[in-house]
Amino acid sequence: MAEIDTALVKKSLDDKLSARVKMGLDICARCGLCADTCHFYRASDGNPKQVPSHKVRWLRELVKRKGQVDEDFMKEMYETVFGDCSMCRRCSLFCPFGIDIASMIAFSRSLLAEQGIMPKALAEAVENYFETGNQMAITDEDWIETIKWMEEELQDELPGATIPIDKHGAEMLYTVNAREPKFYPMDIQLAAKIFYLAGEDWTVSSKPGWDDTNLAMFAGHIKGAAHVVNLTKQRALELGVKRVAITECGHAFRSMKYESPTWLGEPHPFEVVHSVELFADYIRSGRIKIREQCFTEPATYQDPCNVSRNGGLAQQGRYLMRKLCADFRDMMPDGNGNFNYCCGGGGGFMPMAAPFRQRRLASGRVKAEQIRKTGAKVVVSPCHNCFDQIQDLAKEYDLDYRVVQFKEIIDECLIIPEELKAQD
Amino acid sequence: MDSISGFVEGPLLWAAWIVFIGGSIIRLISFFKRARQRDKVIFRHFSWKYVLLTWVRYLLPFNQTVAKNPVFSILGYIFHICLIVVPLFIIAHIMYWEESIWGWSWYSLALPDSWTPVLTWIVIGIGAVFFIRRLVRPEVRILSKPGDYLLVIVTILPFLTGFLASHTGFLTDYMRTIHIFCGELMLILIPLTKLSHYLLFFPSRMVIGIEWGRRGYAA
Repeated sequence: MAEIDTALVKKSLDDKLSARVKMGLDICARCGLCADTCHFYRASDGNPKQVPSHKVRWLRELVKRKGQVDEDFMKEMYETVFGDCSMCRRCSLFCPFGIDIASMIAFSRSLLAEQGIMPKALAEAVENYFETGNQMAITDEDWIETIKWMEEELQDELPGATIPIDKHGAEMLYTVNAREPKFYPMDIQLAAKIFYLAGEDWTVSSKPGWDDTNLAMFAGHIKGAAHVVNLTKQRALELGVKRVAITECGHAFRSMKYESPTWLGEPHPFEVVHSVELFADYIRSGRIKIREQCFTEPATYQDPCNVSRNGGLAQQGRYLMRKLCADFRDMMPDGNGNFNYCCGGGGGFMPMAAPFRQRRLASGRVKAEQIRKTGAKVVVSPCHNCFDQIQDLAKEYDLDYRVVQFKEIIDECLIIPEELKAQD
Repeated sequence: MDSISGFVEGPLLWAAWIVFIGGSIIRLISFFKRARQRDKVIFRHFSWKYVLLTWVRYLLPFNQTVAKNPVFSILGYIFHICLIVVPLFIIAHIMYWEESIWGWSWYSLALPDSWTPVLTWIVIGIGAVFFIRRLVRPEVRILSKPGDYLLVIVTILPFLTGFLASHTGFLTDYMRTIHIFCGELMLILIPLTKLSHYLLFFPSRMVIGIEWGRRGYAA
């Protein structure tokens, strides 16, 4: 680890410490009510080191010492702010003063990132964003090729369906998680299918900005985070769309809709919508027809923190669950909707990979127990990070279920007009 | 002794009130000044609806924090109510306000004499519970610095000394002065410590109310 540039730490504290973070540090009464709101605390059977308020002790100390700290200090802070908090914000719902611990952790991460201290995988992703515009360094050619391939596949079933590329004046720009072209191209095909049947006027962009993930945000790399959202913003402005739609991914939605106006210094001139609200809208308004509750396996809903609590879409997700699933079992008690527990894969834990794997799986115990209690055989989650983590939890905690996104169960319930189907 | 009590009831009293009021105003102004530059999101999404909702829910015991921690929360509410009501509405204090250069008086709202020792001991008792909880509960103990214990004592002392001064003969010549001094100490420490939450509670809940509110829900 490199030498700490204490002058830079001090400068950032002087220039960037926000009023609410400072106030939160000042007035925290140390009452400890945040303790058992935290999935890390609960999963560790009440280890006091996992009390949320205790995790910001490093920032408190940094402010007190005006940034005069050494490598060891920053190293310990790194372990806490990357390894013991997923910035899910559940504790803020129960703090009597509403103190936003997650903002403090995010700020702590940014102070580390400025020193070049980041989990390796996130640092690589940041580089990829700057070089290629997406986290996985997929070339524009590969991206377009995947789109075209998925379009062809879709046309085998629905000859009239297309995946419009760079359609100027379209209503909506659809953005995806880079994992989709890389590992899950079917996701793109399914989204295209739903948009086609809904008669959506949509497009994807051929240029950087099509990846809506923002691992730079998790890394605390604010310049990188701003760069990422700005790419998508530029594409949206060039194409003249009214809304930017986000795939079934939680943090992509949060970064684009809620954080990016702060990074870019101004609100977007377009709307940002998440797939969950789009799909709910299509069904509610009858734009797509479904066989209601056609999905009969016992199913539960994993609220992604950045879709429900931090995205405001808890009820939209439940609307979809009730419309699609005959046997919907919500996670009870006090652990669903805005009050959900993080699955353990949030805050960058999933992409942070191997060095944090054990802690990630251990912190997921709370979620695993919740799922076990529902007895569900299917877990629906509109978030790529939840998706992977929930899958890993099944192995780790010996549970028997599979994880799906909304697109997959919508697909099972879709009523497709005969005239649109391919004729043999 | 006269010179000490003269100082405590004269210049120090003025100093305490000036620090309390001036310090409180400074805390509030410096929050909004900093926020104007660095927390633009608060103003961009400001909504009286969500601000008032969150204030009311947390001033009254109708919120998820109380539902989750009923015992601690209810003790907290009772503690805070007594903490405010006793010094403001005890007859002996109202009398001093009336005799002061301000000449303010609100006798009609005075607490019945028989209530004040009860409410006073509620503050002391709950304060003691908080102190012990801080010592014995691992999740609170790890958060607690010497200052956190001291502030509980600072908060209880005006009540304990007030009781001793008015209901016992203990150190009778000095207790009144000690009591006033303890009150002054607390007034001075309020804006300088986390006790400033008496005021910053409002902007703090305002911020989180707006954060949840811009996502379409109140909490």
